[in-house]
Amino acid sequence: MSGIARKGTRYLTSLVLIIIINFTLPRLMPGDPVKNLIGEDVYVSENVMEELRAKLGLDRPLYEQFTSFLSDLLHLDLGYSYHLHAPVAELLLDRLGWTLLFVGVSAAIGAFMGSLLGALAGWRPEKKTSRFTGLAFVVLSCTPPYFLALLSLYLFSFRLGFFPSKGFYDAPEIGSILHHLFLPVCVMSVFSASRNFLVMRGSVIQEKEQLYALYARAKGLKDISILFRHIIKNASLPIITLLALDFGFLFSGALFIEIIFSLNGMGTLIYGAIIGKDYPLLQGAFLVIALTALIANMLADLLYGLIDPRVRRPA
Amino acid sequence: MSPEAAHIESSCITEACTEEYSEKKREISSLNFKFPGELLFKISGRRKGLKGQLNRGGIFLFVFFLFMALFPSFLAPYAPNERFTPYKEPSWDHFLGTNDIGNDIFSELVYGSRISMTVGFAAALVSTLIGAILGICAGYFRGALDELLMGFTDVVLIIPKIPLIIVLGAYLQPSIWILIPVLGLLSWESTARVTRSKTLQLREAGYVKSARCMGFSSWHIMSTDIFPNLYNVLLPKFMLATASAMISEASLSFLGLSDISMKSWGTMLSFAFFRGGFIRDMWWWYTPPGICITLCIISIALIGFGLETQGKEHVREGADAM
Repeated sequence: MSGIARKGTRYLTSLVLIIIINFTLPRLMPGDPVKNLIGEDVYVSENVMEELRAKLGLDRPLYEQFTSFLSDLLHLDLGYSYHLHAPVAELLLDRLGWTLLFVGVSAAIGAFMGSLLGALAGWRPEKKTSRFTGLAFVVLSCTPPYFLALLSLYLFSFRLGFFPSKGFYDAPEIGSILHHLFLPVCVMSVFSASRNFLVMRGSVIQEKEQLYALYARAKGLKDISILFRHIIKNASLPIITLLALDFGFLFSGALFIEIIFSLNGMGTLIYGAIIGKDYPLLQGAFLVIALTALIANMLADLLYGLIDPRVRRPA
Repeated sequence: MSPEAAHIESSCITEACTEEYSEKKREISSLNFKFPGELLFKISGRRKGLKGQLNRGGIFLFVFFLFMALFPSFLAPYAPNERFTPYKEPSWDHFLGTNDIGNDIFSELVYGSRISMTVGFAAALVSTLIGAILGICAGYFRGALDELLMGFTDVVLIIPKIPLIIVLGAYLQPSIWILIPVLGLLSWESTARVTRSKTLQLREAGYVKSARCMGFSSWHIMSTDIFPNLYNVLLPKFMLATASAMISEASLSFLGLSDISMKSWGTMLSFAFFRGGFIRDMWWWYTPPGICITLCIISIALIGFGLETQGKEHVREGADAM
């Protein structure tokens, strides 16, 4: 019980911290917040600036600003993008679905591929294939994801012409979407697999030295069944933690891959916002990504309790 | 079960099994982790050989890049901002051609190593220092402070780093002097955890206890007795933090969140992608910086991994000695 309470406090503190960061950043940063908001390329008179300041509540005391900020958040109002002339929440919601689909599918494939190969490599670390996959995944995990995307885009789309080079679809059909998403999802899964692989390999190497594995062998089980029926269950626990902690990291990797493949997700939106200095949009994006990462961590904790009985049982 | 009994029992199991599966003898003895038989030593020795080779390769590459960063004028034929005809193909004069504003790409590459590695090492230094200080305090004082600091670490761990840096980078004038502290301030969590667990171990050691009995202050014990012994843990963490800071730097400068006057490899890649290198099929422009980033990060990470395994072996030896 105390464990749950402690976890709860931590998530709550994270949430509060994220909201505070989001609140203070625009007020702390150099320059006039209103000027930052509307952008440098627009000329407005001093009167309009005053009006805007009053409308945004920037002339009120800080605690009042904070309460109104909180109530806006609860009404899902993340501000207004003066560059794209639309509410930020709407813009983000449009793109978030695609990005979540992209990240979710790749993370699932990556987790499966990475842990399977990692388990095999950890089971027989001295074999040639294990060494090769180990080296390959170390190299992959050291490559910036967008460089990998760039190379595969060049090779498979431009040189060989197997895949289209941009967008989610030509026509909104499932076949077209699959065709467009194949290459980005491949790159993304390899990227996520490389992280899972290294953890799974280490975890299996540790687990196979435990006595239950020895007992399973003494029972006369075959190698493969020792690995897949006994060891993999215990060894995959760190993977769940990693998946959750990596979610923010994967999400940011996805942003870069989206930019390279010109997929109309959060990545291209954020890139546009950086170029145009669209601060409300950037902040909204940060809030949304941080919240998704928070939820992913909570889900992983729940899953952990479900899978590992030791967590449920009091010590 | 006493160690001797366990030893006898496990060796009995090993013997019993070897009668039936003599070819599997090696695996069984490697299953037996606390009491390594002769064969396990051989296996780990061989593994160490491979690791050693990789590590040597890593060190070699790293020294090469370090040389490149320290003495760029030895390798680069031109100054990085000297201008020639733009978009030239590779030739004898320009080893990797020229870019959109006519800079020699090879010289740019050599000088870029300086920026990339400075950011990586400086950010890693900041993060290792913060992580070490918080970790030592949490591990040494324990109790409420430990709960508080580790809770804080967990909280920071959840916040996604790169999106936060993107927002910060967009507000502040992009420069490496902003990038270094920001990257450093956001990546100390794993160092803090490792340092804490090592400190928990060390504070029970005899010399720390006797120092406490003699009435040395906590600060003195932490700085002279505990901190020097964390070297085994901190050095690999420092290298791995450098590697990840370099990846982050490359990613951020790809988004244009870097100082244009100080071109790192990430900035070069970004320029090559967004300013016509990709459309014009100039692979000699955008592949070299990418390959350099990857190789440099691999070399640093390999050294880090090597140090980490060494540290673990060191710890294991220490535990056995007790």
